[in-house]
Amino acid sequence: MVRFKNRYVLCEVVSEDPRCRQCIEDRALGLAVRDAIARVHGDYGLACCSISFTVKYLNAYTGTVLLRCRKDSYRLLCSALPFVRYLESRAQRYPCFLNTLHVGGTIRTCQKFLIQYNRTQLLRLLQNCTNEEERQCIQKSLLSCSLTEEQSQSGDEEEDDGTE
Amino acid sequence: KNTFTVCFSVGYSAVALNHVIDFKEKKQEIIKPVSPSELFPSLPIVQGTSKRIKVLTRLTLIVSDPSHCNLLRSTSANIRLYDIIAVFPKTEKLFHIACTTLDVDLVCINVTEKLPFYFRRPPVNMAIDRGIYFELLYTPAIKDSTMRRYTISNAISLMQICKGKNIVISSAAERPLELRGPYDVAKLGLLFGLSEGEAKAAVSTNCRATMLHGETRKSACGVVYTVKKPRKVEEEETVPACKKAKTQA
Repeated sequence: MVRFKNRYVLCEVVSEDPRCRQCIEDRALGLAVRDAIARVHGDYGLACCSISFTVKYLNAYTGTVLLRCRKDSYRLLCSALPFVRYLESRAQRYPCFLNTLHVGGTIRTCQKFLIQYNRTQLLRLLQNCTNEEERQCIQKSLLSCSLTEEQSQSGDEEEDDGTE
Repeated sequence: KNTFTVCFSVGYSAVALNHVIDFKEKKQEIIKPVSPSELFPSLPIVQGTSKRIKVLTRLTLIVSDPSHCNLLRSTSANIRLYDIIAVFPKTEKLFHIACTTLDVDLVCINVTEKLPFYFRRPPVNMAIDRGIYFELLYTPAIKDSTMRRYTISNAISLMQICKGKNIVISSAAERPLELRGPYDVAKLGLLFGLSEGEAKAAVSTNCRATMLHGETRKSACGVVYTVKKPRKVEEEETVPACKKAKTQA
């Protein structure tokens, strides 16, 4: 055995409150997920999953979250994610839920998936948008999205229109 | 309506709107289902494909008495308008009747309290043969801790009898925040004792089978088979006839 194998879980924070997205913090999210694991799987589950548990990436505009955990305990983590009901930050509770998009073995695979996913989301926005300028803006971003080597986490090169 | 929009954005391809009829109250009329076209002028498209999302209507009957089942036998016009019919039996006898003779698509399993009866193998096997699916709800599990315990214990006892076949997991979400994405629901299936493949099937293929079951129940009264076999066998027999004669001789 040469190296530790991790699983990277890509989730999206879905909420009704538009203010919720702006107030997401990585620490608050980590606490909420750990709390859910503790409620569902108890002390054993919490201990197993928190061996190598971190929030690797967080995008407040689109609500995308990338979590890391060990390969042995990713099932415990994934099965506890539906039980996250709210995020707590700065003494305010925001009801929300996490929607799992993709589970990958490396950050790179998750990035690739995220780019494709964002592309489909932009296409969907394109159908719904009414303004001509917005349309052109989206089309430009669609054509320019790609995986580049310079930026370390280039999954969010395309801009969300803010209408989400 | 908000719930529906969230459903669509999360990635479901078919959603069913549920009406619950409880027979304990005095007089219950089966009302006509709300037509989905009244809710949405144009249905949005499924993510990733180019087909439109299907919105179905569904009826759930909470039965605690055998006389309530007569409603299903009666040819009430309004029942025919629902796409999927589900029954929620409260006693063991009704569970047996629902699995064996009633004309339904789904049998709901209670998740909010300890089951008053144990599952037995014969009615469950008959239901599997007939193509009836067992339904588990997951929204109470998200809301409350004691409900979670009941959900898991009831689900696991069901799994032990039916070995994970014919299970459908659905949400009884009334608010958009009680909904979860399909991937997450499949992971919940793991908690209920299903294997990974079965859990994914519980969200995708079994649901589609239920929809088809509902459609066939609505439309088909009998099936006509056309068998092409006799002709083909005759033709085949003429050709190697000479060869056969040689070998037989």
